[in-house]
Amino acid sequence: MMTAEVKRKEGFLYELKKNRALWVMLLPAFVIVILFQYFPMAGLVLAFKNYRFDQGVFGSAWNGLDNFRYLFQSGTGWLITKNTIVYNLVNLVTSQALAILIAIFISEINNRIFKKLTQSFIFLPYFISWVIVGTFVYAIFNYETGVLNNLISSSGGEAVNFYNMPWVWPIIICCFNSWKWCGYNSVIYIAAITGVDREIYEAAAVDGATIGQRIRHITLPTIRPTIITMLLLNVGRILRGDFEMFYQIVGNNGQLFNATDVIDTYVFRSLLQSSNLGMSAAASFYQSVLCFVIIMIVNAAVKHVEPDYALF
Amino acid sequence: MAKQAEAERPMIKTRLSASSKVFYTVAYVITAVEAAICLIPFVILIASSFTGENYIRHHGYSILIHDFSLKAYELIFKTPITVLRAYGVSILITAVGTFCGTMIITLAAYVISRKDFKYRNQVSFFFYFTTLFNGGMVSTYIFYIQYLHLKDSLLALIFPGIFQVFYMLIMRSFVQEIPAALIESAKIDGAGEWCIFFRIILPLLKSGLATISLFLALGYWNDWYNAMLYINSEKKYPLQYMLYNMLQQTQALARIASQAGIKVMDMPSNSLKMAMAVVATGPILIVYPYVQKYFVSGITIGSVKG
Amino acid sequence: MKKQLAAVMLAAATGVSVLAGCGSSGSGSGNAATQSAASASGTSAAAQSGGLDTSKEVNLVMYVISNRPAGQDAVDENLNKLLKEKLNCTLTINWIPWSDYANKYPLLFSSGEQFDMAYTSNWLNWTQLARKGAFMQLDDLWPTYAPDNWAATSEMAKAEATIDGHLYVVPTQKATYTAYGPIYRTKFDDGKEYTDEITDMTSMETYLDWIKANEPDLKPYQVYSAGSEMDDMWMYSQGFCASKGATNDFLFYNPEDENPKLFTYYEYDGVNDFLDMMEGWNGKGYYSKSALSDTDSTQVQNGLAAMQVHNIDTYSGLYILHPDWGFKYVNLRKHVAHLPYTQDSMAISTTSQNPERALALWNLLTTDQEVYDAFYYGILDTSYTLDDKGEFKITDPDTYATSAMWAVRTNELDRNGVGTPDDYVTQRNQWEEDIKSDDTAEKYAAFTIDTTNIETEYAACQSVQQQYWWPLELGFTDKESGLKEYQEKMEAAGIEKVRTEIQGQLDAYVATLK
Repeated sequence: MMTAEVKRKEGFLYELKKNRALWVMLLPAFVIVILFQYFPMAGLVLAFKNYRFDQGVFGSAWNGLDNFRYLFQSGTGWLITKNTIVYNLVNLVTSQALAILIAIFISEINNRIFKKLTQSFIFLPYFISWVIVGTFVYAIFNYETGVLNNLISSSGGEAVNFYNMPWVWPIIICCFNSWKWCGYNSVIYIAAITGVDREIYEAAAVDGATIGQRIRHITLPTIRPTIITMLLLNVGRILRGDFEMFYQIVGNNGQLFNATDVIDTYVFRSLLQSSNLGMSAAASFYQSVLCFVIIMIVNAAVKHVEPDYALF
Repeated sequence: MAKQAEAERPMIKTRLSASSKVFYTVAYVITAVEAAICLIPFVILIASSFTGENYIRHHGYSILIHDFSLKAYELIFKTPITVLRAYGVSILITAVGTFCGTMIITLAAYVISRKDFKYRNQVSFFFYFTTLFNGGMVSTYIFYIQYLHLKDSLLALIFPGIFQVFYMLIMRSFVQEIPAALIESAKIDGAGEWCIFFRIILPLLKSGLATISLFLALGYWNDWYNAMLYINSEKKYPLQYMLYNMLQQTQALARIASQAGIKVMDMPSNSLKMAMAVVATGPILIVYPYVQKYFVSGITIGSVKG
Repeated sequence: MKKQLAAVMLAAATGVSVLAGCGSSGSGSGNAATQSAASASGTSAAAQSGGLDTSKEVNLVMYVISNRPAGQDAVDENLNKLLKEKLNCTLTINWIPWSDYANKYPLLFSSGEQFDMAYTSNWLNWTQLARKGAFMQLDDLWPTYAPDNWAATSEMAKAEATIDGHLYVVPTQKATYTAYGPIYRTKFDDGKEYTDEITDMTSMETYLDWIKANEPDLKPYQVYSAGSEMDDMWMYSQGFCASKGATNDFLFYNPEDENPKLFTYYEYDGVNDFLDMMEGWNGKGYYSKSALSDTDSTQVQNGLAAMQVHNIDTYSGLYILHPDWGFKYVNLRKHVAHLPYTQDSMAISTTSQNPERALALWNLLTTDQEVYDAFYYGILDTSYTLDDKGEFKITDPDTYATSAMWAVRTNELDRNGVGTPDDYVTQRNQWEEDIKSDDTAEKYAAFTIDTTNIETEYAACQSVQQQYWWPLELGFTDKESGLKEYQEKMEAAGIEKVRTEIQGQLDAYVATLK
């Protein structure tokens, strides 16, 4: 009798019936995700088609891997893939690190007004669109009238042509990225830190723990799952560059492309030159597949080391 | 509410040892510097919006207002109806999107955090998968227009961003804070699932709701991308898209101006761009401090699996 | 874990199969649309003698690229009153803003949206769009429903609009010329005046030197993120033509040769002279060292730079804007020819339900001054005014603008702006005469390249061109190593394949000339 009941409970239909209300609660999310995310995935066949406007996505003829060729023509594909991954990794680490640092500081600081003001201010860059950031970047770094060069020359130094020094741009991009997202990300960390049980802190204070010890032994361990999840979630997006950021900061300046070109900017420029939608779809497909593979590997690795923190 | 928030904030008294003093100094200085770096560009932006165009062209941007001029704002509000309508569209999609999105996300987060929901892991992964794989701009566009008929519809501004897996994971962490026993005892008392959700769970999720609705609202308010793809008629432009248009115009023109045939003389001026940015960001900046106080409780987002 | 994945895959698979069903029915209806379009053109052929039936009122939809002027509603209303009366139709104009055209324009044709007319051009890659089935084929429709326009369009324009033996676009009738040269300012705010004239590359340098010495606040030469025009200028002044007929091209030929051969920069003997000159200019600070990141393309217009290189229309625009700055213009191109008329064209979408009426409207727009004015300039004395010479002026540029459907212009109907410099008209007439006496370059005006087979390589070469040639040209990279690297990258991108393909097309074109 016991076994029969267990068996019956395993059935999907039984589950559906038992948790009817819960399934209904899931329904809106299901419908949205299927309609707006899963269905368009079928359009990925476009990546393998010689797309004709009059024949549509499904009517156009197959053309194998032709659409992918342009990505890898003359080795560009590897360069932009490498750039995309490296930028995302570096940006991920630096922006999260800054957000965590600021979050810890803000939650340790006791002056309420200072706390409120700084927390509001660091959110401001989120609202400044990349186009405007791009304008500022040129105003800061250009050779003749740039703010930085004015500073250098007024203090007796020799003006620096930043636009001829590709290696500084990864740093510049990384700084702007951290600057822009610090407020947004720190909200999550501040919330996580505030969630730590007050009594633990008080107990630590009674035991005479220093602030450093408290942060190391209480704060960091408690927000560790949050950190790891944030990292993993972002790793899942590692091949999708923030197009606007790169495009607005670097623009059309070919001098910097080797150091700054990511998949999305390269695809955008190709689309301008050829209007070939198949190429664009091929790049999306390539990004999706690589993202999937990378997250599978990373997740398996995390699972191996710390099963609790694996994403799935 | 403010008082309650105050009470929840950890108040720890520490003896101010020498190392603590160093720590606090460093903390104050670094936070202040970071805040300044974030504030200054914004001040420049505001100052530039009030600065005469000629001054900017010849001297660049400045943190102070030179050659005070309201011309940029006069231009924006020359046809106030356009700007007001864009405000209306932005407010509408933000309000509807945020409300519905918060509801949908919370419901889903609640279900997948229920330990007695057998397929919670599969369902979570089903959602998570969409962040890894997507159709890409082209096929998404074709699908939305041809099969969902979203061209020039405000729904195209609301639906694509309404369900965000990341926010669902955040929300789930809030739900997980609620003891399962609460649900159990309610069940024993004979409460239905919907009753439990609305009467018991939802009231306990205030800060979670505040957090994700802020994120959702920011997302909707700042979104121009969907408007760019799907909206045709100017009457349906949201504010950020108007801004984006104005800002990008210069660049797009610069790109093709070298090609023959087109003779375009009027470019939006620098001060106009800045003024437009101020107009578009203003409302959120006014609202933000009021929302901020709700971020009090903890989020520890976990993995996709339950 | 595996089970979970299987469940997800299953879910995904069901999603996909549902979609596939959806898709086939969708593409089915797409086919139906093309079929109905095809049959429409069939009936049009049948109705050829009967003329167009305008008893049913239709609304036509037109796409143009530009930011919509604030006062456009009134202009549309005024136009539609006229169109209702003359052709029993109304016109809805959709504006794709400048910020989005790169994505939105090609997507427009993929969405299956029903619309009738669109502006198109070489910078919108019209030939590729036409080859990929975005435009309706106009072999019968055009002569039938836009007969006056058809008669007024030159044979050369028709040849340019033909792809694989079919007509796909209706080109503009307004002649434009390949003439290219410096537009330079001669009067300055401090009262100084430059009295010499630029006549060649050497005197151009003299001018730039003078600016550097006398007007230190001005950049002598305007360069911004779209690259410098000086390379094109240099090649044109030597008498060479670009294979694509556009700027920023990388393959050139000499139209004076009997059998012209394509060459690129690094194969050209004069390249070192050119790079020496530019290196010198960079050293002397004729333009910003950060020029390629500067998005301001209006430096001359706003008094930040003294000279730019462009065409006569830009000159005229600047002259109208700043009559007291003493702008001058000179063409330095050795052989002037007509620019392809197709650089401003109108295309009928494959999805159009009323291509006949659309062409009839086009016929009306390009032949009737009243309709043309209402369409292109708007409402007389509200959006524009006319002076006694018939020149127009937009009353309030913040509210109104001329239409962005540039293809509609014809030599007869188009008006000059108030304050157009006198030499705008005389120069253009002069070039028309020049072309009659010297057809060296004009012979090749109808030569258009087809990149279907080399799409990948062509795109890659363009990319290399921007990445390596632009900085090299401006003297930002070392001359020798830079040129070598540029060559290597071009070869890796497949320039040889591109050259072989285009050379074949050029040879075939030359054969038709004989």
